[in-house]
Amino acid sequence: MAALIEVKNLKKYFKSAAGMVHAVDDISFEIQKGETVGLVGESGCGKSTLGRTLIHLNESTGGQIFYDGRDVTTLNKRQLVEFRRDVQMIFQDPFSSLDPRQTVQDIIEEPLHLTGGMNREQIRERTRELMDTVGIEKRLRMSYPHELDGGRRQRVGIARALALNPKFIVCDEPVSALDVSIQAQILNLLMDLQDQMGLTYLFITHDMSVVKHISNQICVMYLGQMVEKSPKDELFERPLHPYTKALLSAIPTTDIHHPKQRILLKGEIKSPINPGPGCRFASRCPYADEGCKAGVTLNEALPGHFVACNKAKEINLL
Amino acid sequence: MPEEILNEIVEPQERDHDHERNGKHGHGKRGHGHRHGKPKESVKPGSLKYVWRSVSHNKGAVAGMVMLAAIVILCVLSPYICRYGYADFNITEWYQTPNWNHLLGTDQMGRDLLSRVLYGARYTLVIGITATAMSAVLGILLGAVAGYFGGFVDSCVMRFLDLFQAFPTLVLAMAFCAVFGTGVDKCILALGITGIPGFARLMRANILRIANMEYIEAARTINCPTWKTILRHIIPNSVSPVIVEIAMTISRNGLTSSSLSFLGLGVQAPKPEWGAMLSEARSYIRDYPHMVIVPGLFIVITVLSFNLIGDAFRDALDPTLKD
Amino acid sequence: MQDKMNQASLFQVKNLTVEYHSGDSIIHAVSGVSFDLQPGETLGLVGETGAGKTTIARASLRILPEYSVERVDGEILYNGEDILKMNDAQLRKLRGEHISMIFQDPMTALNPVKTVMSQIAEGYKEHHKCTQAEANRRAIEMLEMVGIGADRANEYPHQFSGGMKQRVVIALALACSPKVLIADEPTTALDVTIQAQVLDLIKGLRNELGTAMILITHDLGIVADVCDKVCVIYAGRIVESGTKEDIFDHPTHPYTQGLFAALPDLEHDVPRLKPIEGLPPDPSQERRFCDFLDRCPHRCRACKAFAKDSMIEVSPGHYSRCWRTGSEEA
Repeated sequence: MAALIEVKNLKKYFKSAAGMVHAVDDISFEIQKGETVGLVGESGCGKSTLGRTLIHLNESTGGQIFYDGRDVTTLNKRQLVEFRRDVQMIFQDPFSSLDPRQTVQDIIEEPLHLTGGMNREQIRERTRELMDTVGIEKRLRMSYPHELDGGRRQRVGIARALALNPKFIVCDEPVSALDVSIQAQILNLLMDLQDQMGLTYLFITHDMSVVKHISNQICVMYLGQMVEKSPKDELFERPLHPYTKALLSAIPTTDIHHPKQRILLKGEIKSPINPGPGCRFASRCPYADEGCKAGVTLNEALPGHFVACNKAKEINLL
Repeated sequence: MPEEILNEIVEPQERDHDHERNGKHGHGKRGHGHRHGKPKESVKPGSLKYVWRSVSHNKGAVAGMVMLAAIVILCVLSPYICRYGYADFNITEWYQTPNWNHLLGTDQMGRDLLSRVLYGARYTLVIGITATAMSAVLGILLGAVAGYFGGFVDSCVMRFLDLFQAFPTLVLAMAFCAVFGTGVDKCILALGITGIPGFARLMRANILRIANMEYIEAARTINCPTWKTILRHIIPNSVSPVIVEIAMTISRNGLTSSSLSFLGLGVQAPKPEWGAMLSEARSYIRDYPHMVIVPGLFIVITVLSFNLIGDAFRDALDPTLKD
Repeated sequence: MQDKMNQASLFQVKNLTVEYHSGDSIIHAVSGVSFDLQPGETLGLVGETGAGKTTIARASLRILPEYSVERVDGEILYNGEDILKMNDAQLRKLRGEHISMIFQDPMTALNPVKTVMSQIAEGYKEHHKCTQAEANRRAIEMLEMVGIGADRANEYPHQFSGGMKQRVVIALALACSPKVLIADEPTTALDVTIQAQVLDLIKGLRNELGTAMILITHDLGIVADVCDKVCVIYAGRIVESGTKEDIFDHPTHPYTQGLFAALPDLEHDVPRLKPIEGLPPDPSQERRFCDFLDRCPHRCRACKAFAKDSMIEVSPGHYSRCWRTGSEEA
């Protein structure tokens, strides 16, 4: 099976007053057709930037992104328009991702109008169809975003993303602004859509239980770098990187009788501005030593399970 | 109790409300509108209807609009309803305090103050509105250009406007008046130029704010061309605060034009501009205070009306005050 | 329930009702909420957005936005004194010294133009009438207690990361050793690993100082971790209350059950989540029947025959607002 998305050594740096922010630094991974790759990490680790760079909302600083075998970073304007029909994004904040002055119908119709090739009747029909698919009542057609609750707004955002029949969708924290009961509705919807339309997702989130529920593969990011990459079950059963271990142990659980042994991290988070070589987690890592300052690479420690830690073998007794 | 039985005895009207709920995916399918009887009407935020609904519920704004409407109507009708012309002088009736013949009294030349003050309203309104329109158009344009293009263009435009803002408004307006000379048109020009930086700043800040919203990013993902994004998403969402600023600037300009006239720089006596009337009357303030009070009161009422209306617009348009 | 409330509670809320006005309508934010807190105990208030959790917290310190409050009824007793009837001087003494609060967003709780040390010292100085040097010493002590070195005491809030800022807020809240700490979503804005640190810190300080705590959150996992007692709030009412074990082992109210079912489970894989259908009721509508009626999977005609104002005791100390509680084991 050919990978739908293949990222090679992708870099995205931002200029800031203090220096270069290494938001995405030398990241490589693949997404197979029809699967969901979960991208987890904490705020500021560059996961949103990675998602946006992947669909070329940001210009990348270095590296390559292959979509269906074609390098996205070298596309010209016309090809980019073509590419954008195939890839879409669902945004985190259902409050700011919808234009407050457009009705639900306007929002969903806009991509259809812009693409052309459909007459008014067809567009109306397609909009009705999309609203039905994502579960928005028809009577809300003329409503404005501020009149809808968070869950419905997110459904409108999903409908807009689906309008052009994309193949690949970047979901940037699509449920983190929602309440638990509504979150479950949206997660179910996203999974149903994937089954029906064969969509491929990059699911960005900070919530480990959500990512476990929805993903096939999981990538863990820390300060712009990928620290671990593995199939879902493998990662939850056998996290290899000390950061992943801490992350998993920190998830609050509702099982009151078997409290988890938490790994509490100490130390300050390193600044992403000109971070220099070496493991970026070293400042908080309980196992770090002088050798960690030299640099790390992502290695396959177990079949299909990659980890960027020099001491992974030692820590995990592999 | 087994579930089937329980579901069976759900009341019929309950089912009515819920007829949609067992939809394709079993998501919740009820909205807030329908559930409690009459469906809510959809109103576009910032639309005229929405603003009107909010403004008309604001007592201050209604009072302001009534006062303003009264002034405008009286001003237009003044040649027909006033017994005396604004420039008719009659030495035999000078210095009269308000009485039945002259409702607001007369001045040192026996001119009827009511006629003068009502005629004078047109100066204040015309200067206020025209000057504001001029600064709004130019300011919005400059601000939009600065905000959208950013970088060097932004720096140039904003530093140039900083030059204007380095002077107090009134001082700057006085300087322009001194250069251009006196008269209504010169006064409009002076106030119009002075008001540009305020609008430009506001518009630029708005553009910058809106351009960072996720829906602008979303527009890019659906291949919305840049010019369409600006026209369809950025500008419509940026204008609300500008509307508020317009109302406020009209009132400020009315006040400044009176100040200029008072100082002898704007509209000159004997034209019945309120500021000029004040200026003329100030020598008689001890003996005939009504000559000062009348135009002063009209200035206050007009400015207050515009401010009240502006405040109501601010409440109606400010997204941070919306639920 | 009454018997238990008559015991000397440190902090007790009786029949609290808060209504806001918004345009032409009245928002019933909190309706008849009662709970009590013993010294050293931690109570979790769990509920979704708009359930009225924050309103309860704000009412407890009398910091409700006055311009929009229509009506506040009931009693909030601290050591037997009604906070709702206190005068300004009493309130000033109460806030900070006896009850303090941690807000969700650490940035809004800190003054951006003052160093963190001077902010902590200021409150301490006001309540303890001590010298500036003493107050500063206390501030540094507090900062060290929450894991911020003395070398950073003279920095401004914007120089701290989110987690560090929340630590400063905690130090600020605990500087005067309050008896009751109200924490309103203290970790919602933080990352998981930072959240773990902050929760650990809060737990440690609570145990060390013996502070009673009201923890407001939407995250059942945090409640499981930190709290002794739990009140589940839905649409401004407590729908279920009891000890942590009661709620987590035997949830009886359909809403509580629904909340647990909707959570993705880390231990067991499920193909589909079970969301709670529909939406919370419109808070501006007066509801005659159970608030959860529209969304309840077990609703039936009989639900409309029962008064919604009473709670049923499932087991000692465990109450549920669902009338079916007694008749059927969930």
